Amino acid sequence: MKKMMVGALSALALGLTAGVAVAEYPERAVTMVIPYGPGGATDISARTLADPLGKVASKPLVMINKTGAGGATGSVAVQNAKKDGYTMLFARVGSHSVNPAMKATLPYTLDDFRFVGVYEINPVACAVEAGSDIKSMDDLIAKVKGSPGSVSYSSSGVGSLLHLAGAMVLREFGVEKPLEQATHIPLKGGGAAATAVLNGTATFICTNSSALASFVSNGQLRPLMVTTAEPVTGFDAPTSVDLGKPALQQLVGWTGIAGPAGMSDEVAEVWGKYLTEATADAGFLEKMQARGSVIRLMDPKESQDFINGQYKIFRALVDELGMRIEG
Amino acid sequence: MSSRHKQLGIGGAAVLSSAFLFFVGIPYGISAPSNIRNIVLSPLFWPQILAGLIGLVGLGILVSAARAGAGETVTAGQDQTPDQAQSEPGNWLRLAVMTVILVVYLAAVPWIGLVWASIPAFIAVAFLIQTRHPKTAVIAAILVPLVLYAFFAHVAGVAVPQGEFVRLP
Amino acid sequence: MSFFDNLLLGWELVSNIESFLALAVGVVVGVIAGAIPGMSATMAVALTLPFTFALSPITGILLLLGVYKGGIFGGSIPAILIKTPGTPASSATILDGYPLAEKGQAGKALGMALYASCTADLISNLALILFAGWLASFALNFGPPEFFTLILFSLTIIAGVSGQSLLRGALSALMGLLLATIGLDLVYGTNRFNFNDPNLMGGLNFIAVLIGLFAIPEILTKVWDPRGNDGSTRQLGGNWVSFAEYRACFKSIVRGSVIGVFLGSIPGIGAAPSAFLSYSEARRKSPNRENFGKGELEGVAAAEAGNNGVAGATLIPLLALGVPGDVITAIIIGAFMIHGLQPGPLMFVTNADIIYGLFMGLIISSVILLLVGSVAIRAFRFVADIPRGVLFPAVLVLCVFGVFAVNNNIFDIGVMFAMGGLGFLMLRFDLPAAPFLIAFILGPLLEDNFRQSMLMSGGSPDVLVRGPITWVFWTMTVITVVAVVRAGFRNSKQATQN
Repeated sequence: MKKMMVGALSALALGLTAGVAVAEYPERAVTMVIPYGPGGATDISARTLADPLGKVASKPLVMINKTGAGGATGSVAVQNAKKDGYTMLFARVGSHSVNPAMKATLPYTLDDFRFVGVYEINPVACAVEAGSDIKSMDDLIAKVKGSPGSVSYSSSGVGSLLHLAGAMVLREFGVEKPLEQATHIPLKGGGAAATAVLNGTATFICTNSSALASFVSNGQLRPLMVTTAEPVTGFDAPTSVDLGKPALQQLVGWTGIAGPAGMSDEVAEVWGKYLTEATADAGFLEKMQARGSVIRLMDPKESQDFINGQYKIFRALVDELGMRIEG
Repeated sequence: MSSRHKQLGIGGAAVLSSAFLFFVGIPYGISAPSNIRNIVLSPLFWPQILAGLIGLVGLGILVSAARAGAGETVTAGQDQTPDQAQSEPGNWLRLAVMTVILVVYLAAVPWIGLVWASIPAFIAVAFLIQTRHPKTAVIAAILVPLVLYAFFAHVAGVAVPQGEFVRLP
Repeated sequence: MSFFDNLLLGWELVSNIESFLALAVGVVVGVIAGAIPGMSATMAVALTLPFTFALSPITGILLLLGVYKGGIFGGSIPAILIKTPGTPASSATILDGYPLAEKGQAGKALGMALYASCTADLISNLALILFAGWLASFALNFGPPEFFTLILFSLTIIAGVSGQSLLRGALSALMGLLLATIGLDLVYGTNRFNFNDPNLMGGLNFIAVLIGLFAIPEILTKVWDPRGNDGSTRQLGGNWVSFAEYRACFKSIVRGSVIGVFLGSIPGIGAAPSAFLSYSEARRKSPNRENFGKGELEGVAAAEAGNNGVAGATLIPLLALGVPGDVITAIIIGAFMIHGLQPGPLMFVTNADIIYGLFMGLIISSVILLLVGSVAIRAFRFVADIPRGVLFPAVLVLCVFGVFAVNNNIFDIGVMFAMGGLGFLMLRFDLPAAPFLIAFILGPLLEDNFRQSMLMSGGSPDVLVRGPITWVFWTMTVITVVAVVRAGFRNSKQATQN
């Protein structure tokens, strides 16, 4: 009886597929993989975008979290998925420019993905505890150089944006060997990294401004700088241009959508259209800007260039400082 | 199998796995960078402590089993439940069949989808444990996965694996 | 404005039909989600988040809090009825809850779980309202060295759940610690026992290990001996918890709640260790120590008080510092931010009305939990009547769906099966599963905090005794270890003399 039922159902399904074979993508629900856990920056960004995206997409979008290994678990799932456009990825700065630059053992490279668009840029800010005697970047650098080993910075783990950002900022400000003169303290997750600065475990932190905004406005953390050229609302701190370090403008977070490499042009076009409409949604803009992100939609070509550019800069720094993880 | 035999078994296994970890598991399973400044920060430090402790505890279990044997004290009676005491060939056979069912179940999920893999697995397990309600079991085998699918796919928003053949709405 | 004026103001804000409805809907959703293995409270809160965007801030956040609280209680239902913890926090409830269900006293166990949950919830909420500021500044003193000593002390729980042989408990715990090292190294990011397999890089999924260790061995035991236990019919039993029984457990409930409040207010520990600590303390203090693990009502009460005591207290670091204590509160912070609110000390000044509104809502939620929970117990009681020949395969399929849903990963189903095999072997060889689980939770915390401390100090061990908090935990650890070892020697002496 069971066999008959399965047989009947498969016949039905075959009939259905045959009937709509010429129809346009998407014919059915699309699975959107979020490679980080619920409540994180990527998750909130993705789920906020899901709302306007769901309105413009003709089929449902199923948002799923696939967490683990700094975004690698979810990314690998999309890398190995069918190239039919029914499995897409929310790619993030950590999983797609810092990780490839730092980890030799990473099971994927940037070439394994086809980006359909980067839609969000997050400025990076550096901050210290509000009671600290460090009042400016100069103070921080003086302390690093004056008493090596006395300064530490927290991150959400090895291979995270925070890990690289701390080293990159120190290097740009003339610290020769940031990894030896300052200590990197990896914690589990962005919330723990910020708390570590609050309770004195680490001296400073460089991360997305949105992760620090509430601490700054509550007067618990003191911002030292932001990496963008324009000032960030709520952060009373000089920009990278003010400080004469324009190279730090490359140090920003981003979120984008990618599919496996080899996905058809048709699918990429559909997604370009979706993203253009979804990112123009007023409610979406308002929610994202309230959280401190800059909404800037890049087309597939621009996205690819932007990510590759960031990857090259990060890779050069990683090689110079010997940060690459080989084992 | 008496309690003492069990103790000798697990104690011996612990000592052996400790040695295995030290000489094979940790050197080949964990990679550590060459430029570590402080030994306590090495990725190997903690697993080595654990391997050492496993060996020690294993030895401890062996010693206490040996002492219990020498003194002929019967602590065996209290930590044995009667149904675990005997083992017949039938037990192992059913366990082997169960293992096959689980492996096939797991392998079938990406291929035919979670729902269609669960139905035969449900029926197979129900008959393996000699259910007294075969009709109910078959009906439940069809309904339970479908209901779970409806819940997880449409209420919880999980992308339940659909397989290559029959897609559910 | 005085404290009571603030509370009155808060009451005005929540004394409307929407707030009550939001709480009730939240608790119902939470209990149902918690009762489904694999659907943790975290997932339920994450799924509810989008619905709060359209609501007013206070209604939306109350909805999320309702889901959270309901979820933590809901997890105890399958833990008691089918030996499958609905959420990690309810794994300690299995230890005595399932044996009670086997004895036909599921109704008693569920009832006690509910009463203990609600009592602990209320205590936790009161602690939040009265001591938020004080506990938050205390929690901020917890750096890696303090954490390390706290976790070290918590590991002594293992002695309390080891059963007859401390050595076998220790071996089981060591196996848990070893398995928890799979993944990527914290400090260097290198591979550890993962053979460069991306599925193993993230470590073994905690919920897959948990369900594999408890639920699957039960099914395998049934496969091993299909006719064992067949004669005994389980039933819910008409007997409900009597007031005398509740009073007998009251001390343990309060103790568990205090442990929960304490551990909840420190970011990063979570509800599962709290439940186990509360359980082992109750066992240590109880005259019926021998009966723990065999179906002791007080064990259920202590475990549930321990995990629900955390619920209100995790809001302490969130509201007072803006720091999320766990994943759930991280999502709740997201809900605050989407409404343009920034939790932290400033919020007590700028949006005091919302904070006190939440306080009042929380108190109401304890009452709603009691009502919804009583209904839920009656709705789920039929599970105890399902014949095992149908129930066990259904549990297997349910676990497969649930474990997949946690991280949308088929690999995790394999992990669950493998852990089930291991759990079955451990059962055959009289190795207790509870120490394994505790070690699996606490092991990574112990190692990470140790190494973070070493990074802070540049390798000097002095940092591990840097302040009074560390001294207290070192002393407590030493005292407990000495007591455990002495008791162990006494037992083995008695054994040889007999």
